[in-house]
Amino acid sequence: MTTTLGKWIETIKIGWSTHTAYRLNFFLQIIGPALVFFFVKYNLWSSIYGGDPNTVIGGYDFNSMINYHVWTLIVGLLAQGHMGVNMAMDIRYGRISAYLIYPINFWEYHSASFIAFELLQLMISLLTIGIIYSLGLVALPSFFQFMGAIGFCFVVSCFWFSIQYISGMLAFWLEETWMIRIMFGIISAFLSGAILPLELYPEWLVQSLEYSPFPYMTYYPVKIFMGENVNILKGLLIVVAWTSLTGFIASRLWKKGLKMYTAAGM
Amino acid sequence: MSFKQYKEVYSQFLAASISEETSFRANFILLIFLDLFFYASTIFTADFIYDHVSTIGPWGRDQLLFFISFMLVVDSIHMATVSTNFWLLGDNLKNGNLDFTFLKPISSIFIVFFRYIRPTAFLSFFVALGLMIFYGLKLNLPAISWSIIPILIVLASILKMLIEFCISTLMFWTTEGIGINFLRMQFQQLSRWPFFVYSPLPRRILMFIIPVLLIGSAPVSFIYSIQTWNLMAYLVIAIIVFYFLLKFLWKQAAIRYESASS
Repeated sequence: MTTTLGKWIETIKIGWSTHTAYRLNFFLQIIGPALVFFFVKYNLWSSIYGGDPNTVIGGYDFNSMINYHVWTLIVGLLAQGHMGVNMAMDIRYGRISAYLIYPINFWEYHSASFIAFELLQLMISLLTIGIIYSLGLVALPSFFQFMGAIGFCFVVSCFWFSIQYISGMLAFWLEETWMIRIMFGIISAFLSGAILPLELYPEWLVQSLEYSPFPYMTYYPVKIFMGENVNILKGLLIVVAWTSLTGFIASRLWKKGLKMYTAAGM
Repeated sequence: MSFKQYKEVYSQFLAASISEETSFRANFILLIFLDLFFYASTIFTADFIYDHVSTIGPWGRDQLLFFISFMLVVDSIHMATVSTNFWLLGDNLKNGNLDFTFLKPISSIFIVFFRYIRPTAFLSFFVALGLMIFYGLKLNLPAISWSIIPILIVLASILKMLIEFCISTLMFWTTEGIGINFLRMQFQQLSRWPFFVYSPLPRRILMFIIPVLLIGSAPVSFIYSIQTWNLMAYLVIAIIVFYFLLKFLWKQAAIRYESASS
């Protein structure tokens, strides 16, 4: 038990070092896009509201709209930042052979790397919240709601990781898998409320998404951060169900893919 | 080398790229879907906003959707002709493949940025073009506007390429190329909304220092009102400035380049 835990801790440390080795790269790849996305939305909504604090669009006045997008930035960092590009590279370049002699398997290695990434993102998010709060751009919810939202984001990040894992596994069959990751990113950004609050979407579209994972990836955790009453249990159940399903699919893909795997250079 | 020889080399690049891309059919189809999803999410985002507001800045729904589809046309040209090469530059710098590029009797900028072409994006180009024509017709654009649109698309594409070539050249100074590519994509993100949505300071920076806002805003504003000719003049000046900046940066980059393979 102690040995297993030690292996995980050491691998998480390696993952941390890998993520922080090229700091500029990490900033430009992970944090930069989230900040630019927020910057564009801030300017866009400032232009739409035109400085009128009384204008209400879809139930949002200017401050609550900016509040919504600030928390979208945080949820994006916490729950949807991880990229599974290394998994696909490991498979494509035949590097999974090396895991045969590692004391930790492919799944454990990448999961530990994901945990390291999440710890790093948690630190960055807390720092960002601190800066944004001190600028007066956002109001903090109660401690329990805040912790609940962080926990919800972690569950969503597990779902996100399982999707990244599936896209990585597809490298057994496809030459390139980046387009699947990008495609899922585009669809989820659009349908999860990361670009616009779901109140601005047509009613039929919002209703049809109720049992899909999308509203729970951004809109729900943002609403928890904003201190609004949402059905957390229902959201959690749906995300956990989707994570279990995608985890099962990833495991099946791994088994099938491994059977047809030929190690490059062996 | 003469223009004719460059044309022959480019046709060989194109033939090789078509052959390579069509040999992986699943990738080919996925790339088309990727573009279509991107177009749909971009158009619907603006459309949903206009369900709740009548104007954004001075523009109504069809004016903004025409701007967005104009940018999609420019994006698709960019995707088809140069986008793949930005990602390969980072790899080539790390594994020393540029040694051969610098030795060839042809412009190294040409080989580095025009070697790989993405034929699927030519298909997406027609979808984007269809959208632009659809929204242009809704705006009842006059014949003179339609006649200058091709020239404006070419100018916008040239500026977009030159800015991104300059940004990508920074990879010679960084160890990893991925971060620079993400930086480049963030500038694309900024350029996808018209200049008037930005507050004065970022607007000035993004129009006159790193002029990504001129790519779409200058031509489309010019189509709507000839009185905004000054924006088009800035666009032409930006093309000239960034052409010389690229030449300068590339020269410095070549001096700095250390072969990873030797």
